Order: sequence, then structure tokens, then C-alpha cells
Amino acid sequence: MRTPRSTDPALARIGLLVPSSNTTVEAEFYRALPPSVTLHTARLYLTEITPEAILDMVRDMEQQARLLASADVDVIVLGATAPSFLKGLGYDRELALKIEKATGKRATTTSTALLEALARLGVKRVALASAYDDKVAAIARSFLEANGFTVVAAQGLGLVDNLAVGRLSSDTACELGRKVDRPDAEAIVLACTNWKTMDVIERLERELGKPVVSTTQASIWAALRIIGSVPGVPGHGRLLRVIAEEGRAKQPA
Amino acid sequence: MYGWRGRIGLLVPSINTTMETEFWRIAPEGVSVHTARIAGGRHGTPEELRGMETASKQAAQEVAMVEPDVVAYGCTSGSFFEGPAWNKKICEQLSEITKAPTVTTAGAMAACLAAGGHKKVDMVTPYVEVTNERLKRFLKAHGIEVVKLGTFDMLDMFDHAKIQPEAIYRKVKETATRTGQAVFVACTQLRALEVVDLLERDLGKPVYSAVQATAWQAYDVMGVDPKITDCGSLLRKLSEPGAQKKAVKKLHQSA
Repeated sequence: MRTPRSTDPALARIGLLVPSSNTTVEAEFYRALPPSVTLHTARLYLTEITPEAILDMVRDMEQQARLLASADVDVIVLGATAPSFLKGLGYDRELALKIEKATGKRATTTSTALLEALARLGVKRVALASAYDDKVAAIARSFLEANGFTVVAAQGLGLVDNLAVGRLSSDTACELGRKVDRPDAEAIVLACTNWKTMDVIERLERELGKPVVSTTQASIWAALRIIGSVPGVPGHGRLLRVIAEEGRAKQPA
Repeated sequence: MYGWRGRIGLLVPSINTTMETEFWRIAPEGVSVHTARIAGGRHGTPEELRGMETASKQAAQEVAMVEPDVVAYGCTSGSFFEGPAWNKKICEQLSEITKAPTVTTAGAMAACLAAGGHKKVDMVTPYVEVTNERLKRFLKAHGIEVVKLGTFDMLDMFDHAKIQPEAIYRKVKETATRTGQAVFVACTQLRALEVVDLLERDLGKPVYSAVQATAWQAYDVMGVDPKITDCGSLLRKLSEPGAQKKAVKKLHQSA
């Protein structure tokens, strides 16, 4: 049995909005969260990682966010990467703001978390590995560049079917991360919350000698930072280890 | 893929904070839990409970996409309120949508009490009078008599999670009678899983909880032995020799 996890409502609760076809992110959050934090999920209907399907998904977002708010969560995370960067610069914060307005809860998105995580690690030049096809991967790249980062290399697995992404072993993230690395990349980004990444981050960081940021890891980090007063989480890369050094995060926009 | 031994599609009332946590707490290697929320209020009024039947269909659509091996409708009163036929209807509707077998908490409650051969039981609930009466009626339809019912008598379903496990322990001990062959703690928002094992040891009879019974039936349907040793005798039954070889019970037999 896992470490007993208290359900004491006095403890912190994360509300997670998950694309309905995502089979990975709930499991990866649960494995990494400290026992004092519980996870509560609501689902957004999504079959394919295509711009059209993603726009439909966002329409459902506020209603689902309200369901999470009814469980009085401390923070709501839109735990989906492509849906939160799809429309470019500022779109992620726009979605977070929509959630905040609909619920009165603090909110963030995976893409916002990724940007903040890279800033926290002080990196500017990244190599981007993703599960996406060329179209979505190109949007990911321009989103990062519009936010002031340089993408020195990018490779995607070419997948559109979200369930297929969930079936991939985490070795695929390790391999692609290794492959996309360049000497001038200051960090590796592994993008897509349905892609298993959490158990390869530590290994890849040691091997490549630089930070590895996965979108799931960044989402967990951002949620814990908003909650505040959370000890570092070992075993999933530099980013989650350093939480303990952070003060309570400032209120989101 | 996470959930390579079994994926549980869990439908919880939107205000519920206990059931996901307890399901993940006991999930063994290879089992994953994928949650969708059922829209509804927090007061458990008859209107709200009836409304969950409709709202659960949307939640089922959302969770269907993970291709679950079993769907669990995780609300006790939301599955017993309108009686056994209503519970059966919920199962059928959700299975139709998700293409997976469905278990409900009320169905699992009746099934676990039947499996234990209990005809007379004591009940602990957080419910108000009207809901407690419906619960007794549901169990009566399954040939089970409630000897004594102890209640926290709280309308607000969100607040049910604020009742500490120690308070549940005390309430069960106060409620248990000599005639009652077992005690069942209803409501998936009550944090009873943490104390069922202690209660069984201290009372010397089976003590079940809503989340535990739902998990028991879900694992039984999936044919997965979760090897949960410290959450009561019911879940340990899943690890008895031959437990998984027994034909998976007809799901709606007890509904």
C-alpha cells in the first residue's frame, strides 16, 4: 500500500483539469505529491491533439472548474499543455484568468507553469522534445519563442491520438530528450502531460548534466508553489527539489 | 500505460474530496484511477440526489475515453435513494456510455452484506432523516434489516469530509449492537477507510465502509488482487486463494 494520505480537509487540495483521454497525469501527480496534499480531478472532453478539438475542450473548462471549486480546492491547474499554448503568447494566462473568474480560486495552466519553471531555473535556451505532430510542435515552439525563450532544437513523436500517447513507455521520453539535446541547450523540455516523464527526469538530468523540465513536473511544481509551505519533492528532478527554498508564491494575475 | 492491470473510471459527486484520495491510497502497482465529477449541489436534498442520475451520464462520457475496465459510481445516497430499480438503471446507463461494467456504492453495499451472509446490520451515516429512511428501505428490499442506525445528521455533504476518522470510530462503537452481525458506514465522503481495520479488531465483527465496498466490487470485477492488508477483512477477501478464479459475479444481480 502507498504512503497513507490523509484526506483531512484542513490540508491542501489541488484541483486538476485533465483532458478526458489523458491516462497519465493523474497517476504522475499522485506519485509525486507529498502526503499533505490531495488531488481532485475533473475532465475536459478531448479526443485528439488538434487545434479544433482543443478549442471545443476549452469551452467546457469553466463548468468543470466550478465542479472543482465545489470541492473547495486551493488551486486549479489546467493540466494540459497544448490546450494552454494553442493561441500563442498570453493564451495560457488568459485561460487561467477565465478559471479564476469562474471560480474565485487561484489557477494556473501547464504552459504557464512551464514558462515559470524555466524562468525559475534561469534558462533561456532550450531543446524541446514533445509527443506532438509537426503542426502542434511548431505551435509549441513559437509559444516558447514568443515568451522570450530560444528553442535550439525541437523534435516530436508525431502523435495526434491522445490515447496512443498515454500508451508510450517513459523510455520514449528519455530517448527523445537525449536525442534532442544540444551543447547550447541550457535545459531540456519534455512536453505533453499524457506522456510519461516523471520517472526519467532524474536519470536524464544526471546523464545530460542540465535541468530537464517536463510539463507534468512543472505543473506539480506550480501547484505546490501556489499552495506554499510545501517541502521539496525528491526524485523527480531539480525543479521539484527546490520548492522548499521558495517562499509562498505571489498571487497570480 | 498507467493502469496496465486495471483502469478504474471513478465518478464522484463534485464536492467529494474523500473517495479519490482513498481509491488512490489503496491502488496497487498497475492500477490507475481516473476521476470525473458529477455536477450537483452539496446538500444531498432529494432533488439533488435525483439530479445526480442525469449528471452522471456526462461524467461517464468524460471518463469513457480512458477505456476503463470498470466504472464506479461513487455515491451511496445517490445510488440507493430511489430504490434498487433506480440503482440498476444507473448501472445500465453508465455501462452503455462507457462500454465497461459499472458498480455503484449502493449496489456494492448490498453485495458485500449479502456476501457476508448478514441479515441484520447496524448502520452509521452522516445523513438526515429522509435519507436514512430511504437507506433502510433499500436494504430491506435486499432482505437486510437495520438494527440500529447512528447518524451525524448533517445535510451539507462537503462537510461530511470534515468528520475526523476518530469521530467515525467512536460513532461506530456507540452504534454497534449485539444483534447486528456487521456494521456498514455509508457515504463515500466519510473518512472511514482509515479506521475500518481498527474497528473490526476492536468489535470482533465485520465493519464495512462505502468506499471500501465500492473498491471491493471494482477490484472483483477487474479480476485484480490489490493485496490491501490493512483496510478491513472485505478487501483482504480479494487476496484469498482462488478469489479471482471465482466467476465474476453478475454485476446487477444485487442491484
